[in-house]
Amino acid sequence: MRARSDKLAGLPIAAHLALLVTLAFAAAFAVVLALVIWLPPRPPDVVRGDMLLDAFARGYAETKTTGHAPGDGSLHWRIGSAPNLEENSHINHMLRPQLAARLGIDERFVRVAAQAARAEMFVYRVRSVDHRVIDERAPPPEHPPFGDMPPPRIAPFAPEPPPPERPAPPIPPEPPLFAPPPAGVILLSGFEFGAQLPDGRWLVMSQGRNWEVLGWIGRAALVSGVTLAFLSLIALFVARRMAQPIQSFARAVEAVGVDPQSAPAPERGPRELRAAARAVNAMQARLRALVADRTQTLATVAHDMRTPLMRLRLAAEDVDPAQRDRIAKEIGEVEALVSSFIAFARDDPAQEPRVRLDLTALLQSLVDDQAEAGRDISFEGGERLLITGQSLGLKRLFSNLIDNALKYGRVAHVRLVREQDEAAVEITDEGPGVPEAARETVFGPFVRLDSSVGGAGLGLPAARSIARAHGGDIVFLAAEKGARVRVTLPL
Amino acid sequence: MSLEEPPRVLIVDDDGDICDGLVAVFERAGFSALAARDVAAMERLLAEKGADLIILDLMMPGEDGLSACRRMAGKGPPIIMLSALGDDADRIVGLEIGADDYLAKPCNPRELVARARAVLRRGRDKEGGLSGVDTVRFAGFRLDLARRELIDPDNVVIPLSTGEFRLLRAFVERPQRVLSREQLLDLAFANDSEVFDRAVDVQVSRLRKKLERHGEPELIRTVRGEGYLFAAKPSR
Repeated sequence: MRARSDKLAGLPIAAHLALLVTLAFAAAFAVVLALVIWLPPRPPDVVRGDMLLDAFARGYAETKTTGHAPGDGSLHWRIGSAPNLEENSHINHMLRPQLAARLGIDERFVRVAAQAARAEMFVYRVRSVDHRVIDERAPPPEHPPFGDMPPPRIAPFAPEPPPPERPAPPIPPEPPLFAPPPAGVILLSGFEFGAQLPDGRWLVMSQGRNWEVLGWIGRAALVSGVTLAFLSLIALFVARRMAQPIQSFARAVEAVGVDPQSAPAPERGPRELRAAARAVNAMQARLRALVADRTQTLATVAHDMRTPLMRLRLAAEDVDPAQRDRIAKEIGEVEALVSSFIAFARDDPAQEPRVRLDLTALLQSLVDDQAEAGRDISFEGGERLLITGQSLGLKRLFSNLIDNALKYGRVAHVRLVREQDEAAVEITDEGPGVPEAARETVFGPFVRLDSSVGGAGLGLPAARSIARAHGGDIVFLAAEKGARVRVTLPL
Repeated sequence: MSLEEPPRVLIVDDDGDICDGLVAVFERAGFSALAARDVAAMERLLAEKGADLIILDLMMPGEDGLSACRRMAGKGPPIIMLSALGDDADRIVGLEIGADDYLAKPCNPRELVARARAVLRRGRDKEGGLSGVDTVRFAGFRLDLARRELIDPDNVVIPLSTGEFRLLRAFVERPQRVLSREQLLDLAFANDSEVFDRAVDVQVSRLRKKLERHGEPELIRTVRGEGYLFAAKPSR
């Protein structure tokens, strides 16, 4: 199972996208299909002809007594000029006499236009089972569909009186929402009925707005909405599936940049990403080999340089004490140079793990060590201040800066303050200071402001690279006297 | 010390001049000193004559000092590593694999002798000696002997100054015992440093601050007129 999903995840990005599109299409299709099946179809825009005749007759009578057109939501009434209707349609021929008879006026004052729907094509919606049963059994007795008129001339619509002995159909437990129209009833759409009023104006009834359509639009919106939500879920899922390996890849590459010993980038996700991860892992292996090589070389260099110094130091034990101390001092200076070269070339801090540590205690311990060695140094800081960092790296950073302050400025003041989201350490001395023009260039390797003082000029660049690896920085600030260096580290 | 047999130091270094020089230095300081040029020779001498202390070079042909030290740590005599690799990281590696002390070349020969005396003094205190151990636990704290760091119960690293570390080490090696200021001076400060009783008090108060936990009893107690007592029970 896991292997199969892994295989699936290994497809190229194009395949992922194609899969997404296919899935989306299939999902959309499935949702539309499901909703269309589940929801009733768009209500047909047809009305029973017999009901329209009744309605118009009622409206005509009402208009005659009140003098203005009735208001009816589903039918549109107006009083005005004669409707411009085609006189020679089937419907006109069929319904006009019936309407005239119902209204009790001459056919000349009556016009009808409509489209007849073929009854067998439509089922029509019933609101309740009772209604349906009444509809099916017989037309309402007080309003026979076509009044006392003879059957219409058009054969298919001839009313066939239902056989009275036919038993009522059993009521199904789940009443169907649709039923065929009763026999002999025609279904009309796009109709317009007109009849002249006694005052010469015409009363026209036409099909009003079909509010049922609104419900249908709502359903269509629901279908779209559900499809969209469904597709969004699928897209989110696929995007996550694709993005997750890219994110972990990015993290792994970032980790390799900081530490070549970090865990290899996972070879997961789309094929292109796996190829990239393999390339990064190969690069990491070469880097590691390079680092191992360099570590070995540096160890050899250190050995080859320090062994003669040790011999010299032991040999100095045999000369008289004054000479011996001078030799020891010279050896110490050469050793300090060797140390700074090796430390600079080694780049150990990158490999050190990060821990939560108390920066106050760290600075205090460095200052105490210097104070115990008799140096003029002070520390000012508050309660404990926790940061995440490399304890050796940070010790080296601050030792370098404190050593500089003591070496060039005789006195060092270390001050730690907590600022909004960072810890700021300021180290000031009472020496000649750093001229403004050199405040940035001193961080370059092998830069020395005062060549009369020993050193290789590697302390500050090393310190700065440690600070920056911690997401902080070191800068020299303007000071009234001496040098003022400020280290910021994120909390 | 003069009444007893002089302590025997075994110097292991592939460089002949350094061996000779160190033998001379240690003999002048009242030790009996032997030299071996590689790990195999060292083991032969250890089997034949034994030693109280080994001064071990790191980079040697054949088996190197680190692997020999790892093998012998805690079993044989205490080991001081004397190495051309002088970085903090190297020192930590050496101490972590069980060396009792670590010095970088070139060192002051008298400092080497002083450290050798300190290691021997610690080693004689059999019950509390921490030879070959790199971490000690007490009251939820951990003391990392290689990194010279205190790790508090919340896993926060609290760096210690050299003085604080030596003092805490002395306490941890002798728990639940009253230690006088003179004893602490002797144990925690090199013989050649000029410190006074008051310096011990200063270090103790700094150390107390670092060991302070809200609502917990003091770990270093003052015994009026006698000295100090470390109240916790350390374990390895």
